Amino acid sequence: MTVLSVLAQLSGPPFESLPIDWHALAPEVVLLSVAVLITLVDSIGLERARPLMPGLAGLGLLGALIPVITLAVEGSDRVLFGGAYVVDDLSLLLKAVFLLSGYVIVLLSTNYIAEGDYWEGEYYNLLLFSLLGMVVMASARDLITIFVALELLSIPAYMLAAWRKGDRRSNEAGMKYLLMGVFASAVMLYGMSLVYGVTGTTLLEPIGLIFAEVGTASVITLGVIFVIIGFSFKVSAVPFHTWAPDTYEGAPTPVAAFLAVASKIAGFVALISLIYFGFLGQSDLIEPLLFILATLSMFVGNLIALRQTNIIRMLAYSGVAQAGFMLAPFAVAASDPETSLKAVVTYLVIYAAMNLGAFAVVIALARKTRSGEISSFGGAFQYAPALTVAMSVFLFSLAGIPPLGGWFAKFSVFAAVVNAGTTAGYVMAVIVAVNSVIALYYYAQVAKTMWMDPVPDGDMTPVGVPPSLGWAIVLTAALTLLFGVLPGLLGDVTDSFDLGHLELLAFPG
Amino acid sequence: METTFDLPANIAFGVIAVAIIVAAIRVVTTRNIVHAALWLVVVLGGVGAIYILLQAEFVAVVQYLVYIGAIVVLFLFGIMLTRAPLGEMLDLTNRTMRVGAIITAVILVTIMVFSVVDSFRDEEVDFIAYSGDVAAAQTFADLSAEEQETVLDEVAAIGAEGTDLGPVGRTETVSDSIFRDYLIPFEVISALLLAALIGAIVIARRD
Amino acid sequence: MTPLVDPLLSGPIGLQEILVVVFKVVVAFAFLMVAVMFMVWFERKLIGDMQNRIGPNRAGPWGILQTLADGVKLFFKEDLLPDNADRFVFKLAPYLALIPAFLIFTVVPVGGNYSTGDGTVSLFGEETLLQVADPPVGVLFVLAMSSVAVYGVMLAGWSSGSKYPLLGSVRATAQMISYEAALSLSVLSVILLSGTLSTSGIVAEQSQWNWNLWLTGFIPFAIFLISGTAELNRPPFDLVEAEQELVGGFHTEYSAVRFALFFLAEFMNTVTMSAIIVTLFLGGPNGPMFGPEWLQSWVLPSLWFFLKLFVFLFVFVWFRATLPRFRYDQLMDMGWKLLIPAALGWFLILAGIQVASDNDDINLALVVIVGVAIFFAGMGLLMLAMRSSRRQRQLSGVTD
Repeated sequence: MTVLSVLAQLSGPPFESLPIDWHALAPEVVLLSVAVLITLVDSIGLERARPLMPGLAGLGLLGALIPVITLAVEGSDRVLFGGAYVVDDLSLLLKAVFLLSGYVIVLLSTNYIAEGDYWEGEYYNLLLFSLLGMVVMASARDLITIFVALELLSIPAYMLAAWRKGDRRSNEAGMKYLLMGVFASAVMLYGMSLVYGVTGTTLLEPIGLIFAEVGTASVITLGVIFVIIGFSFKVSAVPFHTWAPDTYEGAPTPVAAFLAVASKIAGFVALISLIYFGFLGQSDLIEPLLFILATLSMFVGNLIALRQTNIIRMLAYSGVAQAGFMLAPFAVAASDPETSLKAVVTYLVIYAAMNLGAFAVVIALARKTRSGEISSFGGAFQYAPALTVAMSVFLFSLAGIPPLGGWFAKFSVFAAVVNAGTTAGYVMAVIVAVNSVIALYYYAQVAKTMWMDPVPDGDMTPVGVPPSLGWAIVLTAALTLLFGVLPGLLGDVTDSFDLGHLELLAFPG
Repeated sequence: METTFDLPANIAFGVIAVAIIVAAIRVVTTRNIVHAALWLVVVLGGVGAIYILLQAEFVAVVQYLVYIGAIVVLFLFGIMLTRAPLGEMLDLTNRTMRVGAIITAVILVTIMVFSVVDSFRDEEVDFIAYSGDVAAAQTFADLSAEEQETVLDEVAAIGAEGTDLGPVGRTETVSDSIFRDYLIPFEVISALLLAALIGAIVIARRD
Repeated sequence: MTPLVDPLLSGPIGLQEILVVVFKVVVAFAFLMVAVMFMVWFERKLIGDMQNRIGPNRAGPWGILQTLADGVKLFFKEDLLPDNADRFVFKLAPYLALIPAFLIFTVVPVGGNYSTGDGTVSLFGEETLLQVADPPVGVLFVLAMSSVAVYGVMLAGWSSGSKYPLLGSVRATAQMISYEAALSLSVLSVILLSGTLSTSGIVAEQSQWNWNLWLTGFIPFAIFLISGTAELNRPPFDLVEAEQELVGGFHTEYSAVRFALFFLAEFMNTVTMSAIIVTLFLGGPNGPMFGPEWLQSWVLPSLWFFLKLFVFLFVFVWFRATLPRFRYDQLMDMGWKLLIPAALGWFLILAGIQVASDNDDINLALVVIVGVAIFFAGMGLLMLAMRSSRRQRQLSGVTD
């Protein structure tokens, strides 16, 4: 009987489409519809429709947040397409982070893009498509879905980086980002093909079970290393960070914020899915690999950031170092999967708020100074006290000073690596501590310039902050403070993650 | 199941593989940019031929349709629209980089060949598990060893009679899995293409 | 119900099977050559008639051997190779133009009773289909080969090392790529209705009078015919070799045998494109069947096929004799702004109807109404967008 039934199945079962859970896919559907609507309105309204664009994009992002909230309230995990697409608390939290970061980016872009007279409808369209890729990435538990989501979030970003078409540096930024990005994609895709070749499936969960069982094999090692290297480009971890400073500097500043926050988080989300749902069984490989990446990123990023005179480049190198902090818990991924996963997610959420805030203030100040040099921000307190206070909040949060959000983020990472109880964990804890001190120096340096130094050209006219930009700064500052003062808020969310499978992958049998 | 050594298929594979390698090396060493694109056509065509050897006729035809018929044509079109020099371009290859390129290539090839050979050795890959038909693969995996052999023999027999090409590359299998298991990536790709189109127009057009 | 593969190739393959395949290849090739010779003569004679001239009338009865005479002349002419040419590519290009044209013809079923039988005939005691090959992805193969055919034109223009051929080949490439999209999208409707990619399967689905021409609602056929003409670079879309502007287009520098090969490829493409149209939309060899067994299996199907083929050959010549050449921007406008959206919209309606008729609890009439409404709404939005962008261009002083 069995032989016949297999043969019957092989000769092709009649095609039946799977039932689709529209509620689970609602955020993606809303985003896609708004992106298409923007194209449509833009292509018919042309100049007349330009002022509508940012509003439409912002409302669309908030609209996509509604189904995320209803799904979270309802609370049940939804597994679609045989496990390739999962909507659970983890992915919902990450989707909310992407959508809110996207909303803040739209707020940052509103005046920048309109005043620069850049292509506007297309800008928001590409931004939404890129965010769609990220939202898909948050749920993807399948190699192909992850890859396609990565391409969807990257390709619009390549073009957004080159959006200031008249500027050679912007063109260089886009080109550099594109070349590095496609190279990383190719390496990663090759790794994925090797993983598929060994396991015969693209779903992460079966891959995880097989990896946990078979132990080491050279093809698996090669595949996993290639995949992780591919995403290291995306999160700009050392030694794959070289594109980041040039690209951030050349790209329009809101786009730099987008790359530094949303795009980087998306890379981490992919790493989380791959490592915690797939590669956890290969602990002998991933722990040392990520240990090296994290250590290099922290040291190289921080030490180079010390010497930067341009605020955007400094934020880029600080972003490299921050990526190192976020990679640190991965170094104990298999020893203590639950705590380390929660630490990474916590760090991601808080990083989004504080780094976006820092970029927002830079954009606001640059409206007056027309420069990215740190020295040009000298004495900002005298003509823009509110912005200076906000910038200090973000900078000290990035440095990890209590009671700001960054403190809790660093604390979670620190607790996770110590909690693991391995030698590597303790060494990592020391490295994290040392680097926090180094980082404090350059963050404080910027704050000092803004508070103490004289105004370089003596121009004391106040900075005109447009309402959207102001609202973005208020929003991010509030969130940064909130996460620091009430760390339990985020803890409650991360505690609700359903992580039962981790035990199975990390310690099989 | 006995190991079947298919001589003609192996000879064909060897010829195609050599052609691909030679052409691939010519792509990066030739000094004429149009010739490089044409060597690339040979590489892509060879890959398509290997798909045919694996009975994946759908993938093979799509390889010709998309890569050779569209992508390289657009490469050539781009070259002709911008500059279409005849003869060699001396700045196309940098001699000092040649040593580095050779070393990198040798190291990479060594690692890859070693890891693949080391991991698989003489292992037979049973193709039911690879057919993409998850349900059938599961049922197959649940069978005992003897029953599995019977099924494989049956499948091989059907393949030999030619009434059924087997599940591997059959177009139905490909389409079923695209529209069922991989529906999300499929739809996401449509968004990706739209975004790429819009962005490309903005970047390319004169302001 | 046709078998999954050609019955010739099922079971063990021995010398006899191989010989049958070789025989089919030789016959198909010979047929195509003769058809091309006939087509060249037919075109010249017919245009002559339509323009009130006599046309070729010296070589053979009614000048029918004129093509042969021209061919002999070209073969004995001096073979010129321009100094600036890229020698290897220059020599390669004509073959790249010729080979796809022949390969497409190999998947066309030229006979076989699909109306009352299963399409197979008995050849030297072997059951087989009357086509050289029947891959399960035949239609995709046709599209792939027609996109590969671009190489011949493109490389011929580039390798000549002269500016008119280069301009001609850039034009040709742009035109062929653009119209390939419309061509493929109109074929989609046929594939949707037939549920198969195999050419013999598509023909079998059109048995008796169930021709795709009316089942798909004429529009895909019209789109296919127009974009097929453009794909062939035939008038009224022959901008590639517009003599007034480009001397002779991509083959300006070619002479003797190599020119003959291009010439051959062009007419071979016309014949194969007609054959593809007949296969996809007019039921291939399907038609009224009557009489004894041998008549039904061998004579009538092939007769119907060649009759239909002849009609399209006539239509292509007719186009050439009566329609003025398009301007380049008109050509691109029609391809991108009319044919592609129309093909997509029509495909949407057909897909809706297909789903509704497969599903009992969906109201077919409602689906059709909604589908047509979406079609027109989409077309309306497209028109609106095009109008506003045209107004914008006029405002900013850029003229069309």
